[in-house]
Amino acid sequence: MDFELSQDHKVLQSAVRDFVEKEIKPIAMKIDEEHMIPDTLVKHMGEMGFLGSYLPEEYGGAGLDMLSYAIVVEEVSKACGSSGVLISAHTSLCSGPIYTFGTEEQKKKWLPALNSGETIGCFLLTEPGAGSDAGGTATTYRREGDEFVINGSKTFITNGGYLGTGVLLASFDRSLKHKGITAFIVDLKSPGVTILKNENKMGIRGSYTTAFAFDDLRVPVENLLGQEGKGFNVAMDTLNGGRIGIASQALGIAEGAFERALAYSKERKQFDQPISNFQAIQFKLADMWTSIETSKLLTYRAACLKDAKKSYTMESAMCKMHASETATFVTKEAIQIHGGYGYIVDYEVERMYRDAKITEIYEGTNEVQRVVISKMLLS
Amino acid sequence: MKLLVCIKQVPDLESRFKPNSEGLWYNETDLAWRMNEYDEYAVEQAVRLREEQGEGTELTVLSIGPDRVVEAIKKALAMGCDNAVHIQDPAAACKDPWQIASIVAAHAKDKAYDVIFTGMQSQDRGSAQVGVTLAEQLDFACTSTIVGFEYDNGTITAKRELEGGIKGVVKLKTPALVTCQLGLNVPRYPTLPNIMKAKKKEITAVAVADLLKEGPLATTASFHPPAKKGGGTVLEGDVGAMVDQLIGILKEKTAVLR
Repeated sequence: MDFELSQDHKVLQSAVRDFVEKEIKPIAMKIDEEHMIPDTLVKHMGEMGFLGSYLPEEYGGAGLDMLSYAIVVEEVSKACGSSGVLISAHTSLCSGPIYTFGTEEQKKKWLPALNSGETIGCFLLTEPGAGSDAGGTATTYRREGDEFVINGSKTFITNGGYLGTGVLLASFDRSLKHKGITAFIVDLKSPGVTILKNENKMGIRGSYTTAFAFDDLRVPVENLLGQEGKGFNVAMDTLNGGRIGIASQALGIAEGAFERALAYSKERKQFDQPISNFQAIQFKLADMWTSIETSKLLTYRAACLKDAKKSYTMESAMCKMHASETATFVTKEAIQIHGGYGYIVDYEVERMYRDAKITEIYEGTNEVQRVVISKMLLS
Repeated sequence: MKLLVCIKQVPDLESRFKPNSEGLWYNETDLAWRMNEYDEYAVEQAVRLREEQGEGTELTVLSIGPDRVVEAIKKALAMGCDNAVHIQDPAAACKDPWQIASIVAAHAKDKAYDVIFTGMQSQDRGSAQVGVTLAEQLDFACTSTIVGFEYDNGTITAKRELEGGIKGVVKLKTPALVTCQLGLNVPRYPTLPNIMKAKKKEITAVAVADLLKEGPLATTASFHPPAKKGGGTVLEGDVGAMVDQLIGILKEKTAVLR
C-alpha cells in the first residue's frame, strides 16, 4: 500500500494551492460579507479548469481523475467554502450526471460550456416537501408534442442564482413515488422559470442557495436525461459521486481552520509562554489533526475507488459523514484555541465554523449517510 | 529557434531547516519542494518567447537532481515548455556552481540553443553563479538580473536592475543567456488542462555521469543555523523620546522613510 500522492497529483495540488493562495484567500472574507463570489473569480476558476477537472478533454474538460477533482475542491475550500461548493455542485451534480447518463449529442451540447465555466450548473432535486425523501417529488411534468411541460417548485438549489444549466427531477405520476421520477436537462434562462429567492444563510454565504418556481417550463424532448421513470436512479448515482465533493469541501474547511489554529497556538502567549505549551491545547491539536487525516484517507480512497470503477457507495457515504463531522469539530475547536479572537470575524475561523455546518446537512444528511452505511453492512 | 530554460527545485522557504548529518547542507527529510521562484520568471519569459515565435520553435526545460525534481519539470511543462531533460543526480545539492554549469554546458554544447533562460539565483544556495558560468562555458553573450526582455530577429533587448532602483538596457546578439529577476513578469498558473497535456510531453532522463567531467572549484565547509537572537529591541522613555528613537531606527535600518 502506498499512501503517497502520485507526482502528477502533487503537481496539480501545488498549482491549485498557489492559485488559491493568491486569488481566493485574500478575498474569502469579502465573499462571505458580500454574499457573492465575484464573477471574475468564477471566470478565472473556469479558465484554470477547476470547473471541468474530471470530465474528458473531448467535452472541454481537463481529463483528469476523481482524485484530482477531490484535491481541487479541498484546496479551494481551505480558503473559501463557498467557492468549494460552487465547484462541487457544478461538477458532481450537473456535469457529472450529464456525462454519466447523457447521450453523445447531449454531452456535446451541454458539457463544453459547463466545463469552461461559461455556464454554471446546478441540480434541482430538493423541494419544500421532498429532501431526504426524493420519492416525495411534487414537481410534475406532462408531454405536449415535442416538449415536456414542467410545473412545481424547487428549493435550496446550490448555484441556482446563476441561472445556468440544471439537472431537474420531476414526476409524471406522483402516486408512483420514486418510480414516477424523470431527469431533464434544463436551461434556467427559459421562460417559466422564476427565482423566488436566494436564501440568506448561516454559512457558505457566497454560494447561491435558490428557491425556484416553474410555471409551464417547456423543455424539448431531446433534453430528457436517461429514461422516463428512471430519474430516481440518476439522482442516487449523482448524490453518490457528489458526496466525494462535499467530503472534499469539508476536509478543506477543516484543514483551513486547523492551519490557523496551529499557527495561532504558537503565537499567542499567556503566562509568559505560547499556549501550544499547554497540554489542553496540545490534545486539541492532536485530536483535530487525527480527524483530518482520517477524513482525508476516506475521501481520497472513495475518489480512487470511483476512478477504478469499483463500487464506492459506502465509502462515499463514510467520507462525507466523517469529513463533515470533522469540519464542524475542527472549526469549533479552532475558535476555542483562538479564545475571544476566534469569535471575531477578522480571524476567519468563525466563518469556517459557519461554513462547516452545512456539510453535515446537504448532499444527504449525515443521518441518511448512516442509513446508507448500516444498510450495506446488514444487507 | 531553440530555447532552453534551466530550473531548480528548492525547499519551500516556510520549511524549518536543520543541518544534515555531515553538517554540509540542510536535511531534506520532511521538506516540501517547489520550483525556485526566479526560475518561474525564467520559464514564463521563455514560454512567452516560444509563443511569440510560434511553430518551429522548441522550448526545452532542464533540471538536475533526484527523482523529486520531476515535479518542478512537470510544472514547467504545464506552463508551456515543449519537452524536458532530467539530469538524474541524487547528489546535485552538494555540487558547486562550476560543476552544475558544466553539466548543463555538456548537455547544451551540441544542441544549438539560441537563447537560454535561468533564474538570477536559487533561493537555497543563492550563489547566482550558474547562469553566468554556463554562458561563459558555452561562449554565449550574457546579461544578468533582467527585469525586461524583448527579442527581435537575433537581438535581445534586456532591461537590467541596478542598485538603488536604477535600470540599465543591454542589447545582445544570440546565442545568449539571460538570468531572470523578480519584476520581469508574472508567471502564469498551470491550468488543469495543461497539467493533463504535460503528462504526454517527453521527459528525457540522462545520468549525470554521462555529462559531468569537471571536479568542484569550491566546496562547502560547514552549514549551520544562525545564532539565536534576543527578543528584539524594547524602546523606553517618554512617548516623544520613543518616537524619535523609532524614526532613527527606521531611517538607519530600513528603507521605509528614505
